[in-house]
Amino acid sequence: MSNSVHEIRDPIHTFVRLDSDERAVVDSLPFQRLRHVHQLALTYLVYPGATHRRFEHSLGVLELASRVFDVVTAPGNIRDDVAERLPPIRDLEKRQHWRRVLRAAALCHDLGHLPFSHAAEKDLLPDGWTHERLTAEIIRSDQMKGLWDAMSPPLPVDQIVKLAVGPEASGLQLSDWEAVLSEILVADAFGVDRMDYLLRDAHHVGVPYGSFDHYRLIDTLRILPSPGKTDQRPSTEPAMGVQEGGRQSAEALLLARYFMYSQVYLHRVRRIYDIHLRDFLAKWLPEGRFPTSPGSFLGLTDNEVAAAIADAAVAPTAPGHDAARRIAQHDHFRVLYERHPSDVSVNPDAAIQVSQWAADRFGDDNVRFDTYKAREESADFPVETRDGRIVPSVTVSDVIARLPPLAIDYVFVRPELKDQATALLEEQRQVIIKPKDEDQ
Amino acid sequence: MKRLQRAALLSELAERLLDHDSWCGETHLQKAVYILQELLHCPMGLKFILYKHGTFSFDLRADLTAMRADSLLERRVRAAGYGPSLAPTQQAQSLRQRYPKALGRYEQQIRFVADTVGAKNVDELERLSTALYVTLTGPAGTSAEERAVKIHELKPHVTLDQARAAVAAVDELIEQADRQGLLSEQ
Repeated sequence: MSNSVHEIRDPIHTFVRLDSDERAVVDSLPFQRLRHVHQLALTYLVYPGATHRRFEHSLGVLELASRVFDVVTAPGNIRDDVAERLPPIRDLEKRQHWRRVLRAAALCHDLGHLPFSHAAEKDLLPDGWTHERLTAEIIRSDQMKGLWDAMSPPLPVDQIVKLAVGPEASGLQLSDWEAVLSEILVADAFGVDRMDYLLRDAHHVGVPYGSFDHYRLIDTLRILPSPGKTDQRPSTEPAMGVQEGGRQSAEALLLARYFMYSQVYLHRVRRIYDIHLRDFLAKWLPEGRFPTSPGSFLGLTDNEVAAAIADAAVAPTAPGHDAARRIAQHDHFRVLYERHPSDVSVNPDAAIQVSQWAADRFGDDNVRFDTYKAREESADFPVETRDGRIVPSVTVSDVIARLPPLAIDYVFVRPELKDQATALLEEQRQVIIKPKDEDQ
Repeated sequence: MKRLQRAALLSELAERLLDHDSWCGETHLQKAVYILQELLHCPMGLKFILYKHGTFSFDLRADLTAMRADSLLERRVRAAGYGPSLAPTQQAQSLRQRYPKALGRYEQQIRFVADTVGAKNVDELERLSTALYVTLTGPAGTSAEERAVKIHELKPHVTLDQARAAVAAVDELIEQADRQGLLSEQ
């Protein structure tokens, strides 16, 4: 296959460039399917511009992954103590090989996304399945394996899987070098997956606070030893970090993430539409579960689901009619209760108890509960100071040290019940949220 | 195990580690909880893998972050150049008072972990947890030398001599736990 360069225009990165081997991956059915999976599910019902798809995000991740790889493996940017731990970093041939693996993994990291992305993943996949596991299955499928084997030279499929989905979902042991490359893609702090979705989502949603100076940030990224003083005897394993000169860009990324989550991803109306979508899918899908065999799974996109919602919304006897109608006519449930610090200080499970109370009082069908807590500690990474010391980010940045973990809880009720439920809740709030005993 | 029950146990463990002058950063807690769950059978329901700095649980990271969001743990920057510590708050103390049975059931196990690894630094914990992982997940009856070779293979920056010392430390840990009757599932 000829290895000419193919250029694709992109609103965030101007151009994304592919070689012919990568172009074949982009042209494959599993990748083309991503043209029909919205990046932000039904967020476009709240922010009309949010109609972008996983397809362009995956291209963007490939572009950023290459930029980061080129910076952190540039000979002048490699510390001796890191090179000692990561021998491939100073071997040109190995470096070129792993750059290709990283780009392939970047392209494929979202292949296993369900229709409407994350909205229905948790409840509607069989036990033990996640979109990462589906991604790994698709990368390993005969269809994709043919592409990896046809590359010049061929790429080992397990290496792509490891970097694309990380150690947990791949079920494979990662070497220190593979762990660092996986961090380039999906790390909590500086993963390019996160960088691209923040920039791209902010652009399409039309909110300015998802932006940050990613050019400066990428230029200052380095693979660094773990921070700590000699007497603390830190681990010697390397990790992705940043030079002191990029500290403000790193802070801006973390703030961008904080604001995008609090203003967009965790927006209350967006969250209730996810729940209505989940309710619809639970009734519409055979046995209420997504298929996991690549043959059936790849035939299911947002298009099929959106068409089914439109049909069910006007057919009162159709499975999932009520949820479909709510999505189609913007008649979503309303917030009865949301997480409040003073309630959390009394009982961290206050919202769950409000939800249980409301379900008992008004019926399960009239109440929906939603909760989200950040799963990761993204603010803890090494910083290389101007005098060559390696220190933890929280000791050089008050902004990072004080950034609170994101958490939301919402209890929603049917619109007609909102006033009555609100009045009753206000009356009995302290009793309802009172902590339960251990045996309750 | 329910989320808040687990939070009560985690905050108790953090408290005990701090009593032993542990730095009690996330890495210290990751390794201590690994021993508590996998060796001493405290059923916290967390999935561990071998990853950076030894054994690691993404579930536990999520739990610790959620505990910070719920003001049960707070991050303390104690000295320039050092990573942050995680310390239980007043609210965590109130939470622990609500779970006397769970804390009573696993009190001995928590004390054992704090006593045995509380004073260890990150470097030692990385090797110890890797040695325990290799011991618990490898075929029964694998010799100490085979386990040391495996550790060196998995973590090339751990020298063979360091790996042998880590295996010896793990065997001693298991023996101590056995002597105290802590190896049986409850």
